[in-house]
Amino acid sequence: MTHLNPFVLLCYFAAAAGISMFSMNPVIQTVSLAGALSFFFVRNAGKKTGMHLPIFLTALTVAVLNPLFQHNGATVLFVLNGNPVTKEACIYGAVAALMLLATLYWFRSFSELMTSDKILYLFGRISPKLALLLSMAMRYIPLFGLQLKKTTQAQKAMGYFKEDNMLDRIRGSIRVFSVTVTWALETGILTADSMEARGYGMGKRSAFAVFRFYRKDGLYLALIGILFSIAVYGIATEAVAFQYYPFILRHEQTLISILAYGAYGILAFLPTAAEAGEKIKWKYLQSKI
Amino acid sequence: MIVIRNASARRILRVILPFVLIPAIVALGIFAVESQYHALVSFFVAVCSLLLFFCGFEKKKIGNRRLVIVAVMIALSVAGRMFPVIKPVTAFAVISGMFLGSEAGFLVGSFSALISNFYFGHGPWTPFQMLAWGLIGFFAGVLASPLKKSRLFLYFYGILAAVLFSLLMDVWSAVWLAGEFIPSLYFAKLVTSLPHTVLYAVSNVIFLILFAKPFSEKLGRIKIKYGV
Repeated sequence: MTHLNPFVLLCYFAAAAGISMFSMNPVIQTVSLAGALSFFFVRNAGKKTGMHLPIFLTALTVAVLNPLFQHNGATVLFVLNGNPVTKEACIYGAVAALMLLATLYWFRSFSELMTSDKILYLFGRISPKLALLLSMAMRYIPLFGLQLKKTTQAQKAMGYFKEDNMLDRIRGSIRVFSVTVTWALETGILTADSMEARGYGMGKRSAFAVFRFYRKDGLYLALIGILFSIAVYGIATEAVAFQYYPFILRHEQTLISILAYGAYGILAFLPTAAEAGEKIKWKYLQSKI
Repeated sequence: MIVIRNASARRILRVILPFVLIPAIVALGIFAVESQYHALVSFFVAVCSLLLFFCGFEKKKIGNRRLVIVAVMIALSVAGRMFPVIKPVTAFAVISGMFLGSEAGFLVGSFSALISNFYFGHGPWTPFQMLAWGLIGFFAGVLASPLKKSRLFLYFYGILAAVLFSLLMDVWSAVWLAGEFIPSLYFAKLVTSLPHTVLYAVSNVIFLILFAKPFSEKLGRIKIKYGV
Protein backbone atom coordinates (compact mmCIF):
# COMPACT_ATOMS: atom_id res chain seq x y z
CA MET A 1 0.00 0.00 0.00
CA THR A 2 2.84 2.39 0.80
CA HIS A 3 4.03 2.39 -2.79
CA LEU A 4 0.74 3.39 -4.31
CA ASN A 5 0.14 6.84 -5.72
CA PRO A 6 -1.04 9.24 -2.95
CA PHE A 7 -4.21 9.98 -4.88
CA VAL A 8 -5.15 6.28 -4.81
CA LEU A 9 -4.38 6.13 -1.10
CA LEU A 10 -6.58 9.17 -0.45
CA CYS A 11 -9.43 7.63 -2.45
CA TYR A 12 -9.05 4.36 -0.57
CA PHE A 13 -9.24 5.92 2.87
CA ALA A 14 -12.06 8.25 1.86
CA ALA A 15 -14.03 5.25 0.62
CA ALA A 16 -13.30 2.84 3.47
CA ALA A 17 -13.54 5.28 6.37
CA GLY A 18 -16.27 7.35 4.71
CA ILE A 19 -18.70 4.47 4.39
CA SER A 20 -17.92 3.41 7.92
CA MET A 21 -18.30 6.93 9.31
CA PHE A 22 -21.67 7.61 7.82
CA SER A 23 -23.48 4.29 7.80
CA MET A 24 -24.86 2.99 11.06
CA ASN A 25 -25.22 -0.61 9.93
CA PRO A 26 -23.83 -2.99 12.57
CA VAL A 27 -22.51 -5.48 9.99
CA ILE A 28 -20.62 -2.79 8.11
CA GLN A 29 -19.23 -1.38 11.37
CA THR A 30 -17.99 -4.79 12.49
CA VAL A 31 -16.37 -5.52 9.14
CA SER A 32 -14.85 -2.05 9.07
CA LEU A 33 -13.38 -2.38 12.55
CA ALA A 34 -11.99 -5.82 11.73
CA GLY A 35 -10.40 -4.49 8.54
CA ALA A 36 -8.97 -1.40 10.21
CA LEU A 37 -7.58 -3.37 13.16
CA SER A 38 -6.04 -6.09 11.01
CA PHE A 39 -4.36 -3.53 8.77
CA PHE A 40 -3.07 -1.63 11.77
CA PHE A 41 -1.64 -4.78 13.34
CA VAL A 42 -0.15 -6.11 10.13
CA ARG A 43 1.78 -2.85 9.88
CA ASN A 44 2.65 -2.28 13.55
CA ALA A 45 2.66 -5.71 15.15
CA GLY A 46 3.52 -5.24 18.82
CA LYS A 47 4.48 -1.58 18.39
CA LYS A 48 2.65 1.53 19.61
CA THR A 49 0.85 -0.39 22.31
CA GLY A 50 0.28 2.71 24.43
CA MET A 51 -2.32 4.19 22.15
CA HIS A 52 -5.00 1.51 22.36
CA LEU A 53 -6.28 2.14 25.86
CA PRO A 54 -7.40 5.80 25.44
CA ILE A 55 -9.13 4.91 22.18
CA PHE A 56 -11.08 2.10 23.81
CA LEU A 57 -11.97 4.28 26.79
CA THR A 58 -13.38 6.96 24.48
CA ALA A 59 -15.46 4.35 22.69
CA LEU A 60 -16.72 3.03 26.02
CA THR A 61 -17.89 6.52 27.06
CA VAL A 62 -19.84 6.79 23.82
CA ALA A 63 -21.51 3.44 24.40
CA VAL A 64 -22.51 4.47 27.93
CA LEU A 65 -23.52 8.08 27.22
CA ASN A 66 -25.95 7.32 24.41
CA PRO A 67 -28.57 5.29 26.33
CA LEU A 68 -28.38 7.78 29.19
CA PHE A 69 -29.40 10.69 27.00
CA GLN A 70 -31.30 9.14 24.13
CA HIS A 71 -34.73 8.10 25.36
CA ASN A 72 -36.22 6.97 22.07
CA GLY A 73 -36.97 3.30 21.66
CA ALA A 74 -39.83 0.99 22.48
CA THR A 75 -38.24 -1.55 24.82
CA VAL A 76 -37.63 0.03 28.22
CA LEU A 77 -35.00 -1.85 30.20
CA PHE A 78 -35.17 0.18 33.43
CA VAL A 79 -35.89 3.70 34.60
CA LEU A 80 -33.06 5.90 35.84
CA ASN A 81 -33.88 9.21 37.59
CA GLY A 82 -37.28 9.24 35.92
CA ASN A 83 -35.79 8.71 32.46
CA PRO A 84 -36.27 5.46 30.60
CA VAL A 85 -33.18 3.56 29.42
CA THR A 86 -34.10 1.63 26.31
CA LYS A 87 -32.63 -1.43 24.65
CA GLU A 88 -32.58 0.32 21.27
CA ALA A 89 -30.51 3.22 22.60
CA CYS A 90 -28.06 0.75 24.17
CA ILE A 91 -27.62 -1.08 20.87
CA TYR A 92 -27.24 2.19 19.01
CA GLY A 93 -24.59 3.29 21.50
CA ALA A 94 -22.68 0.05 21.03
CA VAL A 95 -22.73 0.41 17.24
CA ALA A 96 -21.67 4.06 17.53
CA ALA A 97 -18.76 2.95 19.70
CA LEU A 98 -17.78 0.39 17.04
CA MET A 99 -17.93 3.15 14.43
CA LEU A 100 -15.75 5.42 16.53
CA LEU A 101 -13.17 2.67 17.02
CA ALA A 102 -13.14 1.79 13.33
CA THR A 103 -12.78 5.42 12.26
CA LEU A 104 -10.01 6.11 14.73
CA TYR A 105 -8.00 3.11 13.55
CA TRP A 106 -8.55 3.99 9.89
CA PHE A 107 -7.30 7.48 10.55
CA ARG A 108 -4.27 6.16 12.47
CA SER A 109 -3.25 4.15 9.45
CA PHE A 110 -4.05 7.13 7.22
CA SER A 111 -1.74 9.37 9.24
CA GLU A 112 1.00 6.74 9.03
CA LEU A 113 0.74 6.20 5.29
CA MET A 114 -0.03 9.77 4.22
CA THR A 115 3.21 11.44 5.09
CA SER A 116 3.49 15.18 4.58
CA ASP A 117 5.23 14.87 1.21
CA LYS A 118 2.23 12.98 -0.14
CA ILE A 119 -0.16 15.63 1.18
CA LEU A 120 1.99 18.26 -0.51
CA TYR A 121 1.84 16.36 -3.77
CA LEU A 122 -1.95 16.31 -3.60
CA PHE A 123 -2.32 19.94 -2.46
CA GLY A 124 0.18 21.28 -4.96
CA ARG A 125 -2.04 20.34 -7.86
CA ILE A 126 -4.99 22.30 -6.46
CA SER A 127 -3.28 25.33 -5.03
CA PRO A 128 0.48 25.91 -5.41
CA LYS A 129 0.35 28.71 -2.87
CA LEU A 130 -1.21 26.52 -0.17
CA ALA A 131 1.36 23.84 -0.87
CA LEU A 132 4.17 26.38 -0.61
CA LEU A 133 2.82 27.67 2.69
CA LEU A 134 2.50 24.13 4.00
CA SER A 135 5.97 23.05 2.95
CA MET A 136 7.63 26.19 4.29
CA ALA A 137 5.86 25.88 7.63
CA MET A 138 6.92 22.25 7.90
CA ARG A 139 10.50 23.12 7.02
CA TYR A 140 10.62 25.77 9.72
CA ILE A 141 9.61 23.40 12.52
CA PRO A 142 12.86 21.39 12.66
CA LEU A 143 14.81 24.52 11.79
CA PHE A 144 13.52 26.22 14.95
CA GLY A 145 14.56 23.27 17.07
CA LEU A 146 18.06 23.50 15.66
CA GLN A 147 18.31 27.25 16.15
CA LEU A 148 16.91 26.96 19.66
CA LYS A 149 19.72 24.54 20.50
CA LYS A 150 22.34 26.80 18.92
CA THR A 151 21.11 29.85 20.80
CA THR A 152 21.09 27.97 24.09
CA GLN A 153 24.66 26.79 23.53
CA ALA A 154 25.78 30.31 22.62
CA GLN A 155 24.15 31.69 25.77
CA LYS A 156 25.80 29.03 27.88
CA ALA A 157 29.14 29.89 26.38
CA MET A 158 28.47 33.52 27.29
CA GLY A 159 28.06 32.51 30.90
CA TYR A 160 24.31 32.45 31.30
CA PHE A 161 22.51 29.52 32.97
CA LYS A 162 25.32 29.30 35.52
CA GLU A 163 23.21 29.32 38.64
CA ASP A 164 21.08 26.33 39.35
CA ASN A 165 17.83 28.02 40.25
CA MET A 166 14.41 27.79 38.68
CA LEU A 167 13.82 31.50 38.09
CA ASP A 168 17.09 31.94 36.28
CA ARG A 169 16.40 29.00 34.04
CA ILE A 170 12.88 30.17 33.15
CA ARG A 171 14.16 33.66 32.40
CA GLY A 172 16.92 32.16 30.32
CA SER A 173 14.57 30.01 28.24
CA ILE A 174 12.25 32.96 27.64
CA ARG A 175 15.25 34.97 26.42
CA VAL A 176 16.35 32.12 24.15
CA PHE A 177 12.83 31.78 22.76
CA SER A 178 12.60 35.50 22.12
CA VAL A 179 15.93 35.52 20.29
CA THR A 180 14.88 32.55 18.19
CA VAL A 181 11.56 34.11 17.21
CA THR A 182 13.30 37.29 16.05
CA TRP A 183 15.78 35.18 14.13
CA ALA A 184 12.92 33.20 12.55
CA LEU A 185 11.08 36.32 11.39
CA GLU A 186 14.25 37.84 9.93
CA THR A 187 15.17 34.59 8.20
CA GLY A 188 11.66 34.46 6.81
CA ILE A 189 12.09 37.88 5.23
CA LEU A 190 15.46 36.82 3.83
CA THR A 191 13.86 33.72 2.33
CA ALA A 192 11.12 35.82 0.78
CA ASP A 193 13.62 38.25 -0.73
CA SER A 194 15.72 35.40 -2.04
CA MET A 195 12.65 33.82 -3.60
CA GLU A 196 11.68 37.09 -5.23
CA ALA A 197 15.19 37.65 -6.55
CA ARG A 198 15.06 34.27 -8.26
CA GLY A 199 11.79 35.14 -9.91
CA TYR A 200 9.20 33.51 -7.70
CA GLY A 201 5.73 34.51 -8.82
CA MET A 202 6.77 35.50 -12.34
CA GLY A 203 5.24 32.65 -14.22
CA LYS A 204 3.42 29.40 -13.86
CA ARG A 205 4.81 27.09 -11.21
CA SER A 206 5.79 23.58 -12.00
CA ALA A 207 5.85 21.05 -9.21
CA PHE A 208 8.32 18.23 -8.82
CA ALA A 209 6.92 14.97 -7.58
CA VAL A 210 8.49 11.60 -7.06
CA PHE A 211 5.15 9.92 -7.43
CA ARG A 212 4.00 8.57 -10.73
CA PHE A 213 0.79 6.95 -11.75
CA TYR A 214 1.58 3.35 -12.67
CA ARG A 215 -0.70 0.73 -14.13
CA LYS A 216 -0.93 -0.87 -10.69
CA ASP A 217 -2.35 2.41 -9.35
CA GLY A 218 -4.95 2.42 -12.09
CA LEU A 219 -5.98 -1.13 -11.27
CA TYR A 220 -6.30 -0.36 -7.58
CA LEU A 221 -8.26 2.81 -8.31
CA ALA A 222 -10.67 0.94 -10.56
CA LEU A 223 -11.14 -1.81 -7.97
CA ILE A 224 -11.74 0.72 -5.18
CA GLY A 225 -14.19 2.63 -7.40
CA ILE A 226 -16.20 -0.49 -8.27
CA LEU A 227 -16.38 -1.77 -4.68
CA PHE A 228 -17.26 1.67 -3.36
CA SER A 229 -20.04 2.12 -5.90
CA ILE A 230 -21.58 -1.25 -5.07
CA ALA A 231 -21.52 -0.50 -1.33
CA VAL A 232 -22.93 3.01 -1.81
CA TYR A 233 -25.62 1.64 -4.11
CA GLY A 234 -26.59 -0.77 -1.35
CA ILE A 235 -26.78 2.08 1.14
CA ALA A 236 -28.64 4.44 -1.19
CA THR A 237 -31.32 1.87 -2.07
CA GLU A 238 -31.68 1.10 1.65
CA ALA A 239 -30.88 -2.55 1.07
CA VAL A 240 -28.51 -2.43 4.03
CA ALA A 241 -30.60 0.05 6.03
CA PHE A 242 -31.01 -0.69 9.72
CA GLN A 243 -33.65 0.96 11.82
CA TYR A 244 -32.98 1.64 15.50
CA TYR A 245 -35.85 3.80 16.68
CA PRO A 246 -38.54 3.22 17.79
CA PHE A 247 -37.68 -0.49 17.50
CA ILE A 248 -34.95 -2.51 15.87
CA LEU A 249 -35.88 -3.43 12.34
CA ARG A 250 -33.60 -5.26 9.95
CA HIS A 251 -34.42 -5.16 6.30
CA GLU A 252 -34.58 -8.53 4.61
CA GLN A 253 -31.41 -9.91 3.07
CA THR A 254 -31.57 -9.38 -0.65
CA LEU A 255 -29.07 -9.98 -3.40
CA ILE A 256 -28.16 -6.29 -3.31
CA SER A 257 -27.54 -6.25 0.41
CA ILE A 258 -25.31 -9.34 0.25
CA LEU A 259 -23.42 -7.78 -2.65
CA ALA A 260 -23.01 -4.54 -0.71
CA TYR A 261 -21.70 -6.33 2.39
CA GLY A 262 -19.36 -8.41 0.24
CA ALA A 263 -18.06 -5.38 -1.60
CA TYR A 264 -17.40 -3.50 1.61
CA GLY A 265 -15.77 -6.58 3.12
CA ILE A 266 -13.32 -6.82 0.22
CA LEU A 267 -12.71 -3.07 0.42
CA ALA A 268 -12.00 -3.21 4.15
CA PHE A 269 -9.53 -6.09 3.90
CA LEU A 270 -7.83 -4.93 0.69
CA PRO A 271 -4.89 -3.18 2.42
CA THR A 272 -4.35 -6.05 4.85
CA ALA A 273 -4.19 -8.49 1.94
CA ALA A 274 -1.83 -6.25 -0.01
CA GLU A 275 0.44 -5.74 2.99
CA ALA A 276 0.43 -9.42 3.92
CA GLY A 277 1.15 -10.36 0.32
CA GLU A 278 4.17 -8.05 0.28
CA LYS A 279 5.44 -9.51 3.54
CA ILE A 280 5.12 -13.06 2.23
CA LYS A 281 6.94 -12.08 -0.94
CA TRP A 282 9.69 -10.47 1.13
CA LYS A 283 10.10 -13.58 3.30
CA TYR A 284 10.08 -15.80 0.21
CA LEU A 285 12.78 -13.74 -1.52
CA GLN A 286 14.85 -13.71 1.66
CA SER A 287 14.61 -17.46 1.97
CA LYS A 288 16.10 -17.83 -1.49
CA ILE A 289 19.24 -15.88 -0.62
CA MET B 1 -2.62 36.34 -0.36
CA ILE B 2 -3.96 34.44 -3.31
CA VAL B 3 -4.47 30.85 -2.44
CA ILE B 4 -6.36 29.63 -5.46
CA ARG B 5 -4.59 30.92 -8.54
CA ASN B 6 -7.23 30.76 -11.24
CA ALA B 7 -9.24 33.99 -10.94
CA SER B 8 -12.38 32.80 -12.67
CA ALA B 9 -12.49 29.59 -10.64
CA ARG B 10 -12.19 31.70 -7.53
CA ARG B 11 -14.97 34.02 -8.58
CA ILE B 12 -17.30 31.16 -9.45
CA LEU B 13 -16.57 29.33 -6.20
CA ARG B 14 -17.14 32.49 -4.18
CA VAL B 15 -20.65 32.80 -5.53
CA ILE B 16 -21.56 29.14 -5.77
CA LEU B 17 -20.33 28.02 -2.35
CA PRO B 18 -22.26 30.34 -0.02
CA PHE B 19 -25.35 30.91 -2.13
CA VAL B 20 -25.89 27.56 -3.83
CA LEU B 21 -23.84 24.68 -2.50
CA ILE B 22 -24.02 25.16 1.27
CA PRO B 23 -27.78 25.96 1.36
CA ALA B 24 -28.39 23.01 -0.96
CA ILE B 25 -26.50 20.65 1.32
CA VAL B 26 -28.33 21.97 4.37
CA ALA B 27 -31.72 21.76 2.67
CA LEU B 28 -30.92 18.24 1.52
CA GLY B 29 -29.99 17.40 5.10
CA ILE B 30 -33.25 18.77 6.48
CA PHE B 31 -35.73 17.49 3.93
CA ALA B 32 -34.31 14.65 1.93
CA VAL B 33 -32.18 12.38 4.09
CA GLU B 34 -32.87 10.81 7.44
CA SER B 35 -31.43 12.26 10.59
CA GLN B 36 -28.67 9.64 10.74
CA TYR B 37 -26.91 11.46 7.88
CA HIS B 38 -26.80 14.80 9.70
CA ALA B 39 -23.18 14.17 10.59
CA LEU B 40 -22.37 13.78 6.89
CA VAL B 41 -24.17 17.05 6.16
CA SER B 42 -22.28 18.98 8.84
CA PHE B 43 -18.99 17.47 7.62
CA PHE B 44 -19.52 18.69 4.06
CA VAL B 45 -20.69 22.12 5.21
CA ALA B 46 -17.46 22.46 7.23
CA VAL B 47 -15.33 21.46 4.23
CA CYS B 48 -17.20 23.90 1.96
CA SER B 49 -16.77 26.76 4.42
CA LEU B 50 -13.03 26.10 4.58
CA LEU B 51 -12.91 26.20 0.80
CA LEU B 52 -14.89 29.44 0.81
CA PHE B 53 -12.34 31.08 3.09
CA PHE B 54 -9.46 29.96 0.91
CA CYS B 55 -11.25 31.38 -2.15
CA GLY B 56 -11.80 34.69 -0.43
CA PHE B 57 -8.12 35.45 0.05
CA GLU B 58 -7.27 37.63 -2.88
CA LYS B 59 -8.32 41.22 -2.30
CA LYS B 60 -4.88 42.59 -1.59
CA LYS B 61 -1.79 41.55 -3.46
CA ILE B 62 0.55 41.36 -0.54
CA GLY B 63 3.48 39.47 -1.84
CA ASN B 64 5.86 36.87 -0.66
CA ARG B 65 7.17 38.49 2.49
CA ARG B 66 3.89 38.28 4.29
CA LEU B 67 3.36 34.72 3.07
CA VAL B 68 6.67 33.69 4.60
CA ILE B 69 5.89 35.49 7.85
CA VAL B 70 2.62 33.54 8.00
CA ALA B 71 4.56 30.32 7.43
CA VAL B 72 6.87 31.24 10.32
CA MET B 73 3.90 31.90 12.60
CA ILE B 74 2.35 28.56 11.64
CA ALA B 75 5.58 26.76 12.39
CA LEU B 76 5.89 28.49 15.77
CA SER B 77 2.38 27.54 16.76
CA VAL B 78 2.80 23.91 15.64
CA ALA B 79 6.07 23.69 17.52
CA GLY B 80 4.26 25.18 20.52
CA ARG B 81 1.65 22.44 20.43
CA MET B 82 4.40 20.04 21.48
CA PHE B 83 4.45 21.73 24.91
CA PRO B 84 2.93 19.49 27.54
CA VAL B 85 -0.59 20.26 28.75
CA ILE B 86 -1.05 23.89 27.67
CA LYS B 87 -1.30 24.70 23.97
CA PRO B 88 -0.52 28.09 22.44
CA VAL B 89 -2.20 27.55 19.03
CA THR B 90 -5.11 29.88 19.79
CA ALA B 91 -2.77 32.56 21.10
CA PHE B 92 -0.70 32.43 17.91
CA ALA B 93 -3.79 32.57 15.71
CA VAL B 94 -5.09 35.58 17.67
CA ILE B 95 -1.74 37.38 17.55
CA SER B 96 -1.37 36.76 13.80
CA GLY B 97 -4.92 37.97 13.21
CA MET B 98 -4.32 41.09 15.29
CA PHE B 99 -1.05 42.17 13.75
CA LEU B 100 -1.06 40.66 10.25
CA GLY B 101 -4.73 40.85 9.32
CA SER B 102 -7.66 38.47 9.43
CA GLU B 103 -6.52 36.41 6.44
CA ALA B 104 -3.25 35.66 8.16
CA GLY B 105 -5.13 34.79 11.33
CA PHE B 106 -7.34 32.34 9.48
CA LEU B 107 -4.40 30.72 7.71
CA VAL B 108 -2.34 30.39 10.89
CA GLY B 109 -5.24 28.88 12.83
CA SER B 110 -6.36 26.43 10.20
CA PHE B 111 -2.90 25.33 9.04
CA SER B 112 -1.66 24.85 12.59
CA ALA B 113 -4.53 22.41 13.07
CA LEU B 114 -3.75 20.64 9.79
CA ILE B 115 0.00 20.31 10.32
CA SER B 116 -0.05 19.51 14.02
CA ASN B 117 -2.53 16.73 13.34
CA PHE B 118 0.24 14.97 11.40
CA TYR B 119 1.78 14.47 14.83
CA PHE B 120 -1.36 14.15 16.94
CA GLY B 121 -3.45 12.09 14.54
CA HIS B 122 -5.88 13.13 11.87
CA GLY B 123 -9.54 12.33 12.22
CA PRO B 124 -12.92 13.39 10.93
CA TRP B 125 -12.57 16.30 13.36
CA THR B 126 -9.70 17.84 11.37
CA PRO B 127 -11.92 20.11 9.17
CA PHE B 128 -13.82 21.28 12.23
CA GLN B 129 -10.63 22.05 14.10
CA MET B 130 -9.29 23.91 11.08
CA LEU B 131 -12.50 25.90 10.80
CA ALA B 132 -12.73 26.65 14.53
CA TRP B 133 -9.14 27.81 14.92
CA GLY B 134 -9.27 29.63 11.61
CA LEU B 135 -12.37 31.55 12.66
CA ILE B 136 -10.76 32.49 15.98
CA GLY B 137 -7.83 33.99 14.07
CA PHE B 138 -10.11 35.60 11.51
CA PHE B 139 -12.26 37.40 14.07
CA ALA B 140 -9.16 38.50 15.95
CA GLY B 141 -8.22 40.26 12.71
CA VAL B 142 -11.66 41.81 12.39
CA LEU B 143 -11.53 43.05 15.99
CA ALA B 144 -7.89 44.08 15.71
CA SER B 145 -8.17 47.68 16.85
CA PRO B 146 -10.16 47.11 20.10
CA LEU B 147 -7.98 44.07 20.84
CA LYS B 148 -4.84 46.17 20.50
CA LYS B 149 -6.30 48.95 22.60
CA SER B 150 -7.50 47.03 25.63
CA ARG B 151 -5.47 44.26 27.27
CA LEU B 152 -8.50 43.15 29.25
CA PHE B 153 -10.56 42.69 26.10
CA LEU B 154 -7.74 40.61 24.61
CA TYR B 155 -7.77 38.22 27.57
CA PHE B 156 -11.55 38.12 27.45
CA TYR B 157 -11.29 37.20 23.76
CA GLY B 158 -8.90 34.39 24.68
CA ILE B 159 -11.43 32.95 27.13
CA LEU B 160 -14.28 33.43 24.66
CA ALA B 161 -12.25 31.66 21.97
CA ALA B 162 -11.78 28.64 24.23
CA VAL B 163 -15.50 28.47 24.98
CA LEU B 164 -16.50 28.86 21.33
CA PHE B 165 -13.96 26.23 20.29
CA SER B 166 -15.50 23.72 22.69
CA LEU B 167 -19.04 24.64 21.65
CA LEU B 168 -18.22 24.03 17.99
CA MET B 169 -16.20 20.85 18.45
CA ASP B 170 -18.85 19.33 20.72
CA VAL B 171 -21.57 19.97 18.14
CA TRP B 172 -19.61 17.75 15.81
CA SER B 173 -18.92 14.94 18.27
CA ALA B 174 -22.51 14.97 19.57
CA VAL B 175 -24.06 14.90 16.10
CA TRP B 176 -21.65 12.35 14.69
CA LEU B 177 -21.91 9.76 17.43
CA ALA B 178 -25.60 10.05 18.27
CA GLY B 179 -26.68 10.37 14.63
CA GLU B 180 -28.86 13.37 15.43
CA PHE B 181 -28.71 16.48 17.57
CA ILE B 182 -29.98 15.72 21.08
CA PRO B 183 -29.72 18.87 23.23
CA SER B 184 -29.32 17.00 26.51
CA LEU B 185 -26.53 14.83 25.09
CA TYR B 186 -24.86 17.98 23.76
CA PHE B 187 -24.96 19.56 27.22
CA ALA B 188 -23.58 16.37 28.71
CA LYS B 189 -20.69 16.55 26.22
CA LEU B 190 -20.13 20.18 27.17
CA VAL B 191 -20.03 19.24 30.85
CA THR B 192 -17.62 16.33 30.31
CA SER B 193 -15.35 18.54 28.22
CA LEU B 194 -15.48 21.33 30.81
CA PRO B 195 -12.01 20.54 32.21
CA HIS B 196 -10.58 20.80 28.68
CA THR B 197 -12.40 24.07 28.09
CA VAL B 198 -11.07 25.55 31.31
CA LEU B 199 -7.58 24.34 30.45
CA TYR B 200 -7.87 25.92 27.00
CA ALA B 201 -9.10 29.20 28.47
CA VAL B 202 -6.31 29.29 31.04
CA SER B 203 -3.61 28.44 28.51
CA ASN B 204 -4.96 31.02 26.05
CA VAL B 205 -4.80 33.73 28.67
CA ILE B 206 -1.35 32.66 29.87
CA PHE B 207 0.09 32.64 26.37
CA LEU B 208 -1.59 35.91 25.47
CA ILE B 209 -0.12 37.52 28.59
CA LEU B 210 3.30 36.09 27.71
CA PHE B 211 3.29 36.65 23.95
CA ALA B 212 1.09 39.64 23.14
CA LYS B 213 3.60 42.36 23.98
CA PRO B 214 6.83 40.80 22.67
CA PHE B 215 5.14 39.71 19.44
CA SER B 216 3.60 43.12 18.87
CA GLU B 217 7.10 44.58 19.23
CA LYS B 218 8.77 42.00 17.02
CA LEU B 219 6.16 42.09 14.30
CA GLY B 220 6.01 45.89 14.49
CA ARG B 221 9.76 46.05 14.10
CA ILE B 222 9.68 43.72 11.10
CA LYS B 223 6.92 45.83 9.57
CA ILE B 224 8.90 49.06 9.97
CA LYS B 225 12.22 47.57 8.96
CA TYR B 226 11.07 45.74 5.87
CA GLY B 227 7.75 47.40 5.11
CA VAL B 228 5.71 44.20 5.02
